Amino acid sequence: MRTTLILVNYNGRDLLAQSVPAALEAARRAGGHPVMVADDHSSDDSIEFLCRRYPEVRVLALPKVGFGGACNAAVEAAETEAAVLLNNDVVVTPGFLPPLLADLAQPDVFAVGCRFLNPDGSLTNALGNRTAGEWRGGLLHIHHETRLEMLRQTCPQLYANGGGMAFRRDRWLALGGFDPLFCPFYWEDADIGYRAWGRGWRVLFEPASTVYHDQGSTMGRVHKPPHIELMSAKNAVLFTWKNLLDLRLFHRALNAQASWAADDVLIGGLPNRTAALWRAFRQLREARRARAREQRQRIRSDQEIIALSAGGEV
Amino acid sequence: MSERIALLLTFARRGEDGEVERALNHLRGPAAGGPGAHVAALGTPVSEPVLRQLGVEDLILYGGGKGARAAVREARALRPGAAAILYCGPGFAAHLKLEAFALLSGAGKLHLLSPGLPVKTIGRLRLAWSVSVKALATGVHLLVGALICGVAFACLRLSQMLAGGRRVSGA
Repeated sequence: MRTTLILVNYNGRDLLAQSVPAALEAARRAGGHPVMVADDHSSDDSIEFLCRRYPEVRVLALPKVGFGGACNAAVEAAETEAAVLLNNDVVVTPGFLPPLLADLAQPDVFAVGCRFLNPDGSLTNALGNRTAGEWRGGLLHIHHETRLEMLRQTCPQLYANGGGMAFRRDRWLALGGFDPLFCPFYWEDADIGYRAWGRGWRVLFEPASTVYHDQGSTMGRVHKPPHIELMSAKNAVLFTWKNLLDLRLFHRALNAQASWAADDVLIGGLPNRTAALWRAFRQLREARRARAREQRQRIRSDQEIIALSAGGEV
Repeated sequence: MSERIALLLTFARRGEDGEVERALNHLRGPAAGGPGAHVAALGTPVSEPVLRQLGVEDLILYGGGKGARAAVREARALRPGAAAILYCGPGFAAHLKLEAFALLSGAGKLHLLSPGLPVKTIGRLRLAWSVSVKALATGVHLLVGALICGVAFACLRLSQMLAGGRRVSGA
C-alpha cells in the first residue's frame, strides 16, 4: 500500500532537523514512499531549510490554518492510498512503517496508531498508547496506557494519536478529516477516531511501530499553558456536544457540565471551566450541525464504541 | 493540647512538593503551631502521595468516597489550634471548599499561603466573609453553567431529532 509520510510543522525548524531524516530513512527502507511537510505558515526558516537540505521532501506551504487545517490540506494533497501523520517533534524508528501498513490492509481498519515513547525511551506520562475512553462526570475521560506489559500486542484503541497515526486516505476523506470545530488544537484526533468507530470501522494500536515523541515541545513554545488548558477544556465540551448521541448519557453529561462551572470557585486551578463552557457555547451552531451529521452517519451506539474500542464485545 | 495541633488544607498534587513543604515549615514554626506542633492535613486522594512523602501521617482525605461532612467532623475532632490553606495560586482566589473546611474546623489562627506570596494571617470573621462572597460567586457560576448547558441541550437535542438517521442514540 503506497503511503505518504506527512509531517506537520509550525516554526519547528530545529525539530525538523531530527524528524525529517528519520522519516526519510523509514520511507526509503519501506520501499520508497513520499515524504511531505505541511507548513502552517511558519515565521522561521523551516521552508528554506527543507528546500536546501532535503530537496526530495515535498513542501506544502500553507496559509495559517491551524494544526487540523494543515493536516486536512496535506492529506488532500497526498496522492497515495494511505497516509501517516507525524508531529514535527516525533522521530520515527527506521522500521516503523511496515507494521502500520500491514494493519491497514485489514478491510475494516480506518487507522493505526504508533507506540509512543519519550525521547529517553521511557513510557512515563507518554500519551497516545492504547487509548480507551469512559464517559464520566460530563466528559469523555481518556486513558493512555503506560505499562509496557500492556503494550505488547496489536489491539483496538479508541483513537490514534494525531502525532503518529497511519490511516486509509479514502476513509479519512469520507469522514471529512479533522473537524474544524476543534480549532485551534486538541481533541481532533479523538473525534475522528470516535467517528470512525461509529461508522463501523476500527482503530488499532500497533506496538511494533515505535516513534519517539518529545511531548508538547511544539505546543509549549507557541502557546502558554493556561491557553492550552482552556482550549483543551473547550474542545472536551464540544466533543461531548457533538458525539454523545445516547440521550440518557447526554442528559447526565450536560447536568455535570453545568455544575462543573462552580468548580472554578470551589476548587480553582486550571483550566477556567466557565470560560471553557462559554467558548464552547460560542461554537454551538457549528456543534449542532456536526451533531446532526453524526446522527445521520452513526451505525454504532456510544456504549458500543466505548466497549469495542477497549477490546470488549457487545 | 489543642494549640499544638496544626491543620494543613490543600489540593496540592505531584510537582507542588516545594509549596507543601513551605506550608508544613510554616505550621511548625512560631507563627503558627509552634516548634514541635503536630501537623495533620486535610487533602484529596490526589494530594495523598505528596503529603505522605513529606512525612504527614495524620491525613484526612476528602473525596474518593468520603463526604465533606465526615471530613469536617474528623478535622473538628482534632481541635486544631491553627490551620493553613495552601492555594494553587496565583493569589488567594477560589478554593472555597478549603476555606469552608478551615472555618468549620474551629481553628483559631488561620494562615493563607500562595506560591510566591508572603503568608497572610487572617481572623475567622475575615475568612467567613471570604467564604460568603465565594459562595455567592459559586451560585453565579452555577447559574451561568446551567444556562449554557440548558440552551445547548435544547438546541442539540432538536438538531438530533431533525437529523433522522439510525436509532443508535436511544432517541
